This record gives sequence, C-alpha cells and structure tokens, in this order.
Amino acid sequence: MFSLLVLVPFLILVAVNLSKKVAPNVACSLTALATLAQAGFVVSLPGTLLKTNNVIFTWLPDFKLAIDEFSIVVLAAIGIVAFVACCVARSTINDPGQRATFMNLLLVALIGMNTTVMLRDIFSIYLFVETIAIISFVLISIDRGRLALEGAFKYLMLSAFATILMLSSIALMLLFSPTLELSGLAEAMSVYPNPILIKLSIGLFLCGLFIKSGLFPFHWWLPDAYSAAHSAASVLLAGIITKVVGVYVLMRLSLSIFGESLHIQAMVMAVGALSIITGAVLAMTQKNFKRMLAYSSISQVGYIILATGVGTPFAFAAAAFHFFNHATFKSLLFVNAASVEKRLGTMDMREMGGLSNRMPATGITSLVGFLSTAGLPPFSGFWSKFMIVLALWAAGKYFYAAFALLASILTLGYMLILQRNVFFGKLKDGLGGVKEVGPGLVIPQLVLAAIIVLVGVCFPFVLNKFIFPVQSIFLK
Amino acid sequence: MNVSLFGLFSVFVILLFIAGTYSILVTFNLIRALIGIEILIKAVTLLIILAGYLTGNLGLAQAIAITLIVIEVVFMVVAGGIVLSIFRHHGTIDTRNLRDLKG
Repeated sequence: MFSLLVLVPFLILVAVNLSKKVAPNVACSLTALATLAQAGFVVSLPGTLLKTNNVIFTWLPDFKLAIDEFSIVVLAAIGIVAFVACCVARSTINDPGQRATFMNLLLVALIGMNTTVMLRDIFSIYLFVETIAIISFVLISIDRGRLALEGAFKYLMLSAFATILMLSSIALMLLFSPTLELSGLAEAMSVYPNPILIKLSIGLFLCGLFIKSGLFPFHWWLPDAYSAAHSAASVLLAGIITKVVGVYVLMRLSLSIFGESLHIQAMVMAVGALSIITGAVLAMTQKNFKRMLAYSSISQVGYIILATGVGTPFAFAAAAFHFFNHATFKSLLFVNAASVEKRLGTMDMREMGGLSNRMPATGITSLVGFLSTAGLPPFSGFWSKFMIVLALWAAGKYFYAAFALLASILTLGYMLILQRNVFFGKLKDGLGGVKEVGPGLVIPQLVLAAIIVLVGVCFPFVLNKFIFPVQSIFLK
Repeated sequence: MNVSLFGLFSVFVILLFIAGTYSILVTFNLIRALIGIEILIKAVTLLIILAGYLTGNLGLAQAIAITLIVIEVVFMVVAGGIVLSIFRHHGTIDTRNLRDLKG
C-alpha cells in the first residue's frame, strides 16, 4: 500500500510526459488528486496498524523502506502542502510551458520527499536530500528573473557546502561502521572506542542539515531564496521542501543516532534557540512581505529544533506536532502573500494597507494563520508551542522553557506589524480597484484555515490519534 | 597499496581540499567558484574510497563513489544553467553583481 505513495506520482509523471498534447491543467488536476488522496489515505490509517516496525520494502540488507507514526505526520503534511502548491501554481503561473515545468518538478519533489520519509539508511537519505535540493534550485529560478537567479545561486553555493560536509561525515562513518543503515550505525557507534571521531562525524552531518534547513548561522540564503522565488515555488519550498530535507532528516537522525549524546543535544538546542531569536528580530525589520514570512519561518523551525534537542519522547512528539502545524500555517501565509502579489503586483509592505476591506477571504484567512503562528488559542499553533514549552519544563530545561515562552511574544510582535501594514486599517490610496482573488487561490486558503482551526479545536482527538503514538517510536 | 602509496593518496586528498577551498575563497568568478565546489566534491569522493580501503569495505565505498559521480554531474548541469542565465541578465559572471537581495 505504501509503495503507492511513490508509484502514483511516478506514473502521473510518466503519463503527462508521454505526449506533448497533455495540457498542464490536466497534470495539475491529476497531481492535486494524488496529493489529496495521499493526505486522506495517511490520515485514515488507524494507529493500531503500526504496532510493528513496519518495513514495507527490502532490497539489499542495507536498503529498506519503512514507515512509522512520525512518518505518517510528515506524509500528511507533504500531501496537504503539495495540494496547495498545485492550486497556487494553476492560478498564478500564466505561461503554460512554465506551468508544465513546475508540475513536473513538483511531482519529482513529491516522489523524493515521500521516499525520504521512508528511508532508513544515511547514504540514501543524503541522495534524496540532494535530489530535492537540485529540484529546488530549478524551482526557485523557474521564471529566470534576475532576483530569482540570484536567490537560486546563493542557495546552490550553500547547498554545495552542505553536500561536502555531509559526505565528509559519511566518509568518517565508514571508518567505524560496516554499514550505513541507521540502526546498524547506531550499534557501531555504541561499541566504537573513540568518541571524538563519532562526535566529529555527527557534527559535520548536523552542520550540513543546519544549512539545508536554514538555521541560525547559515540562515541568510533562505530569505533570499524564498522572496525571489515565484509564489507557487515559495509555497512549496517554505511549506515542505526545506522542512523535509533539513528538519525531518535531523529529527530522524536524532531519533536513531545521536539521541543520547548530551553534547550534541546541547548544541542542537542552542542552535534552535538562537534561530528563534534571530529569525524573530530580523523579521521585525523587514519591508518585504515574503522576506518577513521567510524570517518567521526560520524562527518557527527554531522551535522544532529546540524541542528535538531535548531528547524525551514527549518533546519529540511536540516537535512532530509543530512540524505539521508549521507546514500548514506557513503555507497558508505564503498563499496569502501569493494572492496579494497577484492583485497588487508587488511585495513591498509600504505600498499596502487596509487590504482586508477589499480582499475579505484573504484577510480573514491570514488572520487565522497569524494567530496560529503567534500561538494564540484555540488555533493549532498554540497547542504545539504549549506542548514544546511543557516538554522543555518537564525535562528540566527551565531556561529554554522561559525563553520559548518569551520568544512567542516576539512572534506576536512581528505578526502584528505584518497585519497592520498589509491587512488592517484604512485602505491605502490607489488600492480602491483591488478585488478578491479568484477561487483558485481562495479555496486553498480556506482549506488550510479550516485545517488549522479543526486541529486546534479537535486537539484532544488529534493528540490521541496522531501525536501521542509518535512517542512509541522511542520504545522500539 | 603499500604504506608510502597510501600516504601519498592521503596527502593528495588533503591538497585537493585546500585547493578547492582556496579557489572558492579568492575568486569573484561564478564559474571558478563552481570549479572549486567540483574539486571539493572530488576530494570527498576520494576520502570515501580511502575510508573504504582502510576498513576493507571497498564494495560499499565504490558503490557510493559511483553514485556521487552521477549526482555531481546533475548538480553541475543545473548550476551551469543558472550561471548561464545570470550571464544573460548581467552580461558578466562577477559575483559582485549579485547584490540585489538584501535585508
């Protein structure tokens, strides 16, 4: 059943490229259906099916695909965000050739992400991360604009450094482990006498992942890439791609390889906390809508990383929950940005104001996204941030718990600046003719807003069915 | 491989690392930066072969090296395409022109 997650996008990819006559809209619809089916299928899985260590495919002893409770949360997020990116691409990319290119790239990225989530050996994970990175260079520079190319090149250079760091780390791992499969690697690490070599290899790999997920010392490529990319591409990148290639892989490795090492945990938590504060402070100074959202993304990813570094099952579940919530509310805000850009043709916040009057659906859904990002009840973001703070407190990290709580006030601050400049207040002169965007953009906004509200309101149900089972991975 | 040859091999890998890093740090030329990246990836590939040789795990190391060569080609094709498009916009491949995105 799970092989379909990879096979269906692959078959669609082949089918829409068989003949030149297939319209890009057909590809759009097929992909949208496939991604919706993925989200539905994954969500409908009862937790009891996953009692065993669910290996779904084995080829060589080293290579297998497996699925667990954490993968399910990530797969659901992938399905939802890819669906939204489909809708946005359909109504914002005007050139049919470009739209076809975008759909092809999206399908390959979908295959890559779904496989990454199921992989269990470090070299294959690297391989798929690299493939998705190459796709994102093309996605960013899809309209070959001046700024887009600059953003793509910056990402490319940093990503190449990440590649070199990760590969050096794999070379070091080969020195002490006969296999690169995650559980075998963890076993080899526990018996190897030289801790410095092990820490060096893990540290190098982590630095590569920090670059890929845009965390504090390596964050500066991310706003450039997100703000210069086409709207549809930035929804896909910000919503899921950098999260899967960076954050998911980091969480998976922390689960299997370096979960018990105190030094590494301290480092991961420090990087997370620094990213929270850097992202939030820099977001306040921005004049560009998408740049501000990109800095906010750095800050929110910091929360996920901070919770991952704690190393308790509850903190890990909280991180997984915030992973899902971040994917939904950040893509909602980026779809709002896409709507505003479609109507106004600019992303400069000094030229906006009072847009809620003219674009009610965009205004209201952005308010939902904003309240969820800022962590206000009853929206989904509140519960995951609350869980993160609780987990930090329960693990005895009082400083970080207070820090996470205070930093969410900063989040509220920059989101208020954003709302006041763009949606609230009096309508700016010259914007009188602005109309609400068409259903192609309103529907994804409403879908995402509904998910955020539903997850927030039905919190106990979601918690018991999807989030608490994540903790059981630690027992296996 | 005897001991002196092994030493030579390691020194060569280290030299490649230094050369790649140096060529990225000193240049303002996009193509030269890409060549630096290429040299670094080559160095890492040799490092993996070296690790495989030291532990007697040559089969895995060779498989990884071949996969890396393929990945590297794809990476360089995309990077070359982006540099070419930048050249069409700016008429030059100097990194000092890439300063439009700030903040």
